[in-house]
Amino acid sequence: MAFESELLALVPRLRRFAASLSRNAADGDDLCQAAIERALKSRDQWQEGTRLDSWMYRIMRNLWIDEARARQRAARTFAPEEEGEHVGHAGDRDIEAAVELSEVARAMAKLPDEQREVIALVLVEGLAYKEAAEVLDIPMGTLTSRLVRGRGALLQLLGEAA
Amino acid sequence: MSAITEEMLVAYADGELDEVNRRRVERALAGDEALAERLAAHEALRGRLSAHFAPIAAEAVPDRFSALLKPQAEVVNLAEVREQRTRRMWPGWAMGGAIAASLVLGLALGRGMSGEAGPMGVSRGQLVAQGGLAKALDTQLASAQDSNDVRIGLSFRAKDGGWCRSFEGAAVSGVACRAGEDWRIEQAVPGHAASSDYRQASSGDARIMATVEQLIAGDPADAADEKAARDAGWK
Repeated sequence: MAFESELLALVPRLRRFAASLSRNAADGDDLCQAAIERALKSRDQWQEGTRLDSWMYRIMRNLWIDEARARQRAARTFAPEEEGEHVGHAGDRDIEAAVELSEVARAMAKLPDEQREVIALVLVEGLAYKEAAEVLDIPMGTLTSRLVRGRGALLQLLGEAA
Repeated sequence: MSAITEEMLVAYADGELDEVNRRRVERALAGDEALAERLAAHEALRGRLSAHFAPIAAEAVPDRFSALLKPQAEVVNLAEVREQRTRRMWPGWAMGGAIAASLVLGLALGRGMSGEAGPMGVSRGQLVAQGGLAKALDTQLASAQDSNDVRIGLSFRAKDGGWCRSFEGAAVSGVACRAGEDWRIEQAVPGHAASSDYRQASSGDARIMATVEQLIAGDPADAADEKAARDAGWK
């Protein structure tokens, strides 16, 4: 049961990471759940003694990428507009949009995926560059250049004073 | 303008520079107001992002996750059960007994049920789920259930291509398969109210797993497949 309890202890961080990747907290929790289910199913692939948090970040990030690609395909087929900004302005949905699509979330949503995942790991999760590069399986140079571009874009979107 | 690149400044803000480079940036910062402002903006950005998402990590873990990860609510692991079953000495005997027991219960339920609204009833000559059980089979996801009377264990495709689901409840647990608009009861065993040991009547119950094993084609549905199947009306 050690695996389950270690995983349970990681849930707060995993939910936070999922939320920073997703459009809103509800989507984030769905992503988090999918990642946990995937982890339970493929627990044999986790090597004891290696970091479970990095492994989980990687699983979640890969699921998110798959989902993002599927969504892009669907968006090309159905809806040309940017969804989030055209959510209905009535009742609950409006409140939900106001709460969940805060300025920060909106700015994050505008980043290209490759920048958003780097920002989420380094600035939200507080991973060291080396750890983040390992999770994403990219060279350090790629990580830092995406980070610089992502930071620059966020500063612009949120106003220089951030 | 100092010779400090944006990349270096960002690495400084993130605490990623070695001693030598850190000093270089610090020297440049002392004489370059624009650079210092830029650094302040990067530091503020980091603070704003982490503050924005921090409340999520501070929340108590929602039930849906603790339920997934707590041993007493363990997710049914079909592979493990299969392994256990092949190790057993007389699997044939175990399965025969299980089916006989469930048949008897099925008959008893079918008879006792007439005129009374229970979880099962006879429709068009078949024993089918009704009431709360039918509703749970129609709508409830194994991946998202909290305090309902009926819990869904596994959802899976049977060898004939139709959907089946295992369930557990206070009165009755078992397996049902989609038949038109109905859920035909393939198996019914006493629910956890009839058992002093809750675990015994869970969906890990060997009798239910034996039935699943007999019916299933491939692997059980994961959360996404299950949801898609439900949204498509279990067609």
